[in-house]
Amino acid sequence: MAGRLNLWRWVVLGLAALYFLVPLAASVIFTVDVPGEGITFDAYTQIVSADGFTSSLVLSLELAAATIAVVLLLMVPAMVALRLGAPRLRPVVEVICSLPLVVPPIAFVAGIATVLKWGPDYLSRTPLFETFVAIQNPSFPFILVLAYVVMALPFVYRALDSGLRAIDVKTLVEAARSCGANWPQALVRTVLPNLRGALLNASFLTLALVLGEFTVAQLLGFQPFAVWIYSVGGSNAQLSVAVSVLSLVVTWALLLTLAGVGGRDKTASSRG
Amino acid sequence: MTATLTRADVGAAASVKRRRRVPSWIAVVPLLAFVAVAFGVPAIAMLNGAFTVKNQTTGATSYSTANLTESLKGAYLTALIGSVKLSALAGALGTLLGLPLAQVVVTSRFRALREAVLTASGVLANFGGVPLAFAFVATLGNAGVLTTHLGLKDKGWDLYSFWGLVLVYLYFLIPLMVLTITPALEGLRTQWREAAQNNGATGVQYWRHVALPVLLPSLLGGFVLLFGSAFAAYATAAAMVGSSIPLVTLQIADAISGNVLVGQENVALALSLDMVLVAGLVMAVYLPLQRRSARWLDA
Amino acid sequence: MTVSPPRNAVLGGSLAVVAALALSACGAAPTNSSTTADGKNAATATSVADFGGMAALVKAAKKEGTLHIIAVPRDWANYGAIIDGFTKKYGIKITDENPDGSSQDEINAVTSRKGQDRAPDVLDLGSSFALSAAQQGLLAPYKVASFDQIPEGQKDPKGQWFNDYGGYISIGCDAKRVKTCPTTFADLLKPQYKGQVALNGNPTKSGSAFGGVYAAALASKGSFDDIQPGLDFFAKLKKNGNYTPVESTPATVEKGETPISIDWDYLNAGYADEFKSKGVDWKVSIPSDGQYAQYYSQAINKDAPHPAAARLWQEYLYSAEGQNLWLKGYARPALMTSMESAGTLDKTAAAKLPKVSGTPAFPTEAQQSKAKTVIAQGWAKAVSG
Repeated sequence: MAGRLNLWRWVVLGLAALYFLVPLAASVIFTVDVPGEGITFDAYTQIVSADGFTSSLVLSLELAAATIAVVLLLMVPAMVALRLGAPRLRPVVEVICSLPLVVPPIAFVAGIATVLKWGPDYLSRTPLFETFVAIQNPSFPFILVLAYVVMALPFVYRALDSGLRAIDVKTLVEAARSCGANWPQALVRTVLPNLRGALLNASFLTLALVLGEFTVAQLLGFQPFAVWIYSVGGSNAQLSVAVSVLSLVVTWALLLTLAGVGGRDKTASSRG
Repeated sequence: MTATLTRADVGAAASVKRRRRVPSWIAVVPLLAFVAVAFGVPAIAMLNGAFTVKNQTTGATSYSTANLTESLKGAYLTALIGSVKLSALAGALGTLLGLPLAQVVVTSRFRALREAVLTASGVLANFGGVPLAFAFVATLGNAGVLTTHLGLKDKGWDLYSFWGLVLVYLYFLIPLMVLTITPALEGLRTQWREAAQNNGATGVQYWRHVALPVLLPSLLGGFVLLFGSAFAAYATAAAMVGSSIPLVTLQIADAISGNVLVGQENVALALSLDMVLVAGLVMAVYLPLQRRSARWLDA
Repeated sequence: MTVSPPRNAVLGGSLAVVAALALSACGAAPTNSSTTADGKNAATATSVADFGGMAALVKAAKKEGTLHIIAVPRDWANYGAIIDGFTKKYGIKITDENPDGSSQDEINAVTSRKGQDRAPDVLDLGSSFALSAAQQGLLAPYKVASFDQIPEGQKDPKGQWFNDYGGYISIGCDAKRVKTCPTTFADLLKPQYKGQVALNGNPTKSGSAFGGVYAAALASKGSFDDIQPGLDFFAKLKKNGNYTPVESTPATVEKGETPISIDWDYLNAGYADEFKSKGVDWKVSIPSDGQYAQYYSQAINKDAPHPAAARLWQEYLYSAEGQNLWLKGYARPALMTSMESAGTLDKTAAAKLPKVSGTPAFPTEAQQSKAKTVIAQGWAKAVSG
C-alpha cells in the first residue's frame, strides 16, 4: 500500500507542478525567443525604459502605501477596542468587513462610477465639485485608495483577528497602564510589537491586492501598474508578458518573505 | 499616616473616572464612518440606479423593476447563464482537483513541501487578472509557445473558448481550494483511520464512510467559495477574450463604459445588483457550512 | 494632573486633518476663461474668424500649451507623423491617452470627466459614434477653414463633426502562417482558417469592428438597412470555429495571434510596412463581395480644457499638410477630391492606396442608428456560439 501511495503522490505532485510551472516557463520562453531574432533578452532590458513603466509602478506603490496606512489606521484601533471593551460590536464589525466580499469589484466600480457622475451632473455649482475632481487627480487618484481600502477590509480583518486572538490584549494593556503608561503608549509599546506578524501579514496582502488590481482602476480611467501592463500588451506583446512574469515573481518573493518573517515571529513569541 | 485628600488627588480621581467613561467603541467610529462613505454611498447609488428608469423622450425618471427584468433577458441572460456555467464547472473541477493535491501535501513527510505549497497557494490564489491571462496567452494562445511547438492548433485547440477560460481559472481556483480544505484535512484524526482499519475497512471504505462525510461541509464550502470567486472574476477574462465570451462581468463593464444604446447604465447597475444577490447567496451558503465543518474538527 | 483622554485628542486631531484636506479640495467648477483677441470665449468660437484670424488662434493655442487627444495609436493612418508635425510646428505638447481605446471609450472619457482638466480636447470617432455624441450634445460646433470643401454628407451642417479620413474594410493576412490568403468574405468561412479570423475589437464599442460587421452584411446579401446578415455571418464563423475573439492590435499581428484580421485597409497596409522588417509578410485585399467604406469624424469636446489648441489642431488636420500625412498612411483624406483639383495632393502616396473599384456609398444616420441597435442586442448572442 505504501508503494501505491508513493506512486499516487508522485503523480499528483507531478501533474500539479506541470500545470503550475509550465505556463510560467513558457512565458519566459515567449519573451526570450523572438522569431527571426533568436534568443534575446531585449524584453527585459527594455522594461525600465518602457514608456509608462516607472510612472505606473510608482503610482501603484504609492496607492498601496496610502491604502495600507489608511486601512491599518482604521482597523487597528477598532479591533483593539473591540477586544478591550465593546464585545457587542464584534458581529457588526465582522459583517461590515465581510460585506466587500459580497460585492464583486465590478459591481463596486459600477456604483462608484455612478457616484462620480453626480459630480459633473448635479454638483458642479457646489464646493463638493472640487473634492470630486481632486480625488480623481490622475497623478494620485485618492478615489482608488478609498476603493482599495474597502476591498482590503476582509483580509485585514482576518489577519488582525487571528493576530489578536494569539495575544492577551486586556492583560497587556492593563499591565502597561498600571506601570504608568497612557493609552497611546500602551498601544504602541505593548500591543503593536506583539501584533507585528499580523500587521505585516495584513500589509503584504494589501500590497499584493493593490499591485494586481485592474478592474476598478481601468473602469475609472486610471493607469496604475496592472492597467499599464494591459495597455502595453496591445503594442508590445513580449514586453507585457515579461512584465507580467516579473510582477508575479516579485509578489511571490514578497509573500514568501512575509511567510518567513511571520513564521519566525510565531516561534519567537511562543518561546518568549 | 493618612494624608488629607489634596486638590490634586481629587482631580486625579475625577480624571480617572472621566477617563473610564470614554467608551471603547469610539475607536470603531472612524471605521464605521469610512465604510459608510466609501462603501455605503456607491452601494446606495447602485441600488438607486438599478431601480431607476429614465424615459427617453420626456427625460423623467421613475422607480420600477424594469431594469431588473431587462437584465434577465436577451444578451444579459446569455451572459448570466454563461457566467453561472463557467463558475459552476470551474468550481467543481477546482474542488475535485484541489482535494487530492491538498491530501498529498498534508500527509507528506516533508514539512518543507507543505510550507512551500501552502505559501505558493496563498500567492496563486490571489494571482489572477492581467498577468495570469498574458502568461496563458503566451503559452497556449494562437501563437503561444506550446501551441506552436506541439502543433495544438491543428488538433483544434482554442484557448479563447469556454474550456480555455476554465483552464485559466483553475490556476487560481485550485490553490484557493487547497487553502480552504487543508485545515479540514488536518483535522482528520489518524485515530479514525486506525479505528477504521482495525474494523477491517479498506482505504476506499475509509474514505467513503468516514473521511468524505466529515469533509463534506468543507468541500461544499470550498466549492461555493470557488464558484463565487470565478463568478466575480473580471480582469482575467477581459485581458484574454475581450468581450466576446458571454460573461456577466464583461457585460457590466461594457455597459458601464456606456453601451451603444444610451441609458444602458441603469441596466448595468441592475446586473450588478444581480451579481451581488448571487454573491450574497454564495456567502449565505458558505458561512454555515464553514461553521459546521469547524464544529466537527474542533470536537 | 488632568490628562485629556488621548483617544479624543487623536480623534479631534484626525478630524481636523480630514477637514483641512477636504476644504482645500473644495470649490465649484471653474468656468472656462481663455478668451480670444476680441474678448470672445475660445470655447464658443465656431471658426477661425471668431478668433480674428489664424495668427490669433495660434497665439491663443500656444498660451494653452497642451492638447489632450485620446484613443489615437501612432501607427493608425500615420497619426504618429501628424502628432509630431503639429508639435514641431506650434510647440504645443500633445498627450495621447489610451491609444488602443475604442470610439465608445472616447465618448465615455468626455462624459465622465466633464469639467476636469484631464478631459480629452478632440475626438476621432467612427461615424455612427460621432452621431451619438452629437445627439448627446457633447460636441462643440466649429467649421474649419476648408469646411466648404468637405463633400456634402460627410459633415454635420452645424459643424459638430466632420469626416477626416476613411478607408475600406479589408482582409489582412499573414502569408507566412496562412497558406492561401482569403480574399473575400465567402473565403473566410472555409475550414482551413480555423481559429484565425479576428476583428479589430467589439462592434458594440469599436468603429472598425462595426464596419467589419457591416461589410460582412453587404457580402451576405444584406444592405445598409439590414445588418442582420452580418451578425449571422459572424455567428456562422464562430460556429465553424474560424472566429477568434482576440482583438487584433499591432502586437497580435506581429506575434501571429491574429493571422487574419478584418480591419481598415489603411491599418492593414500600415502593418504590412511596419512589420516587413520583422519578417512578417502581411497581405491586404479589399473583398470584392463586401465593399464597405467608412470615414472617421473629427469633433471637439464642448467642455474641452484647451479649446483654442483643440481648434488649432483641427485647422492643422484640414490643411494640405495634415491631409497628405493621412494619405501617406494609406487612408483616403476627406478633402482628397478638392486637393486633387487644386493640385496639392501627394500623388505618389495616392498611387499606393489599395485598389478598389467603384465609388463608395454611405449609410444614412437613420440606417446607422438602426444597425447599432441591432448589433447591441444581437452581437453577444451571435458570437457566444
